[in-house]
Amino acid sequence: MKIKKIILFIASTLLGVCLMGLGLTSAYADPEKNTDPKAEPKTDQKAEPKAAPKKLTGAELYAINCSRCHPERYATEFTPGQWQTIMLHMRVRANLPAAQAKEILKFLKEDAGS
Amino acid sequence: MAAAICVLGVALTPRAAAMITDEDFNALKSMVTNDNQRVSQLEKQHDQDQQTHQQDQQTIQQLQQRLGETQTLATNAEQKADAAARIQPANPVMNALHNFTMVGDAEVQFGQAKGQNGTFALADFAPIFLFRANNNVLFEAGFDVTLQNNTGTNGLPNGGSSTAVDLSFAQLDYLLNDYVTIVAGDMVLPLGTYSERAAGWLNKIPDDPLPVDFLPGSGVGAQLRGAVPVGGMGQMLTYSAYGVNGPSSVDGTANAGSLDLGGNVGDSPNLNGNPSGGGRIGWFYPWKAHYDVELGLSGQSGTWAGNALWSAFVVDAAVHISPYIEVKGEYIKTWEQTDNAGTIQPGGWWVQAGYKLAGLNLDAPVVNDLELVERYDSANDAMGSTTDRFTTGFVYYLTNTLLLEGDYEWFKNRGLNANGLPSSQFVIQLSYGF
Repeated sequence: MKIKKIILFIASTLLGVCLMGLGLTSAYADPEKNTDPKAEPKTDQKAEPKAAPKKLTGAELYAINCSRCHPERYATEFTPGQWQTIMLHMRVRANLPAAQAKEILKFLKEDAGS
Repeated sequence: MAAAICVLGVALTPRAAAMITDEDFNALKSMVTNDNQRVSQLEKQHDQDQQTHQQDQQTIQQLQQRLGETQTLATNAEQKADAAARIQPANPVMNALHNFTMVGDAEVQFGQAKGQNGTFALADFAPIFLFRANNNVLFEAGFDVTLQNNTGTNGLPNGGSSTAVDLSFAQLDYLLNDYVTIVAGDMVLPLGTYSERAAGWLNKIPDDPLPVDFLPGSGVGAQLRGAVPVGGMGQMLTYSAYGVNGPSSVDGTANAGSLDLGGNVGDSPNLNGNPSGGGRIGWFYPWKAHYDVELGLSGQSGTWAGNALWSAFVVDAAVHISPYIEVKGEYIKTWEQTDNAGTIQPGGWWVQAGYKLAGLNLDAPVVNDLELVERYDSANDAMGSTTDRFTTGFVYYLTNTLLLEGDYEWFKNRGLNANGLPSSQFVIQLSYGF
């Protein structure tokens, strides 16, 4: 019985984290989007448009993600084709979001070896 | 008097002859005015013609410049084509393995336990073969090729050596969309993060943390995994959910000590009635490059012999503060139902910290390439043996992929293994990642 309770606790925790993640994702995904059709539209015409959120570059994403687990590799160490294969491997192994993996690949390909 | 009249007459006569009428004068005036207007128009026309001429001259110069550039490009292209034609054979051979890449690592290790002889304990070659069929399909397989002494049935060396080839993992990855990847095969399991990120040259200490032995390193089955970015600053939620054959029994019994974490890879002999399920949820929060926190919860549950249950729960955490400081660790707990000892709970924990001396800004080449590493790990097998270990060591980065690692380890053994294991040892390892 104790084990069943523990498993139930783990499952509940995982489910809770999932739901929290989905909530955070939707909250961050498009804060301007209002999905409630009954909600009143915003009428504050004087409000200045918000600056577009800064988008991280491939170089920044490379620095953030890659050195977490291993010394940084030079872009010149592999050809563009090899980087494409390696990034596919790392996207799966390190669970990198697709958009981030694409930006990192683009950055690595710019100075890739030949 | 007559003379004066004559003189006056002579003087007045030409004047009278030069006099014109008003009509003639006006006509002449109109003619002069028209001529002036015509001259002005001609001058304007001339100015316009000059401007047009200058514009034409500029256009001609630009066209000449472009022509020169085009001629240069054509000349370069012709030269490159000639050079390529000299290099390439008449009938080029298409490279069928253009999407094939090999990465991996290799290690050689020397160690000496207290009271024993020093020896080169390990020569390991661990390639990972990657074959990318297209941008959504990847097959990857990792091997561990090691050289070992031949041993007899009594476990003692009996001369000669042999090469062991172990399949670490072999999996097919299908990237279904941006958020879901389907993985199938012999997979590295996401129980904690150590097993997925612990290739020899990635691990800053030559040997594994002790409680990692309580978890299966890989499993045969299928998995869904992916990541969801949160915001635009690199945050993400990651997930993995899998089903695998799960652990089995080495002898068919459900007795303590019979658990086989790595042997259940096929249908015969499968002493396990049902597959196991597991997964991991992770949260990664970077606030800038090299400053981040990662937390993860993972677990697996299923039967291992008959209906006896085996479950695992892992909490993992990692923190980076600057490019120089790293702290990470895991807490591992397992539950193992047995026929002879009830439910035992092997488990343990480990924490590891590293500091790169480059953070001291000493501008000393050797010091800048050194990283100091400390680790404390503890394991309790729940069958009467507990081991605590403190490790201090270093990593010297010869290059970004060639590492010299060394460490000294102190053991505190209690229970059944108290007299069988050394109290300390040192290990030196040369690691190369490729």
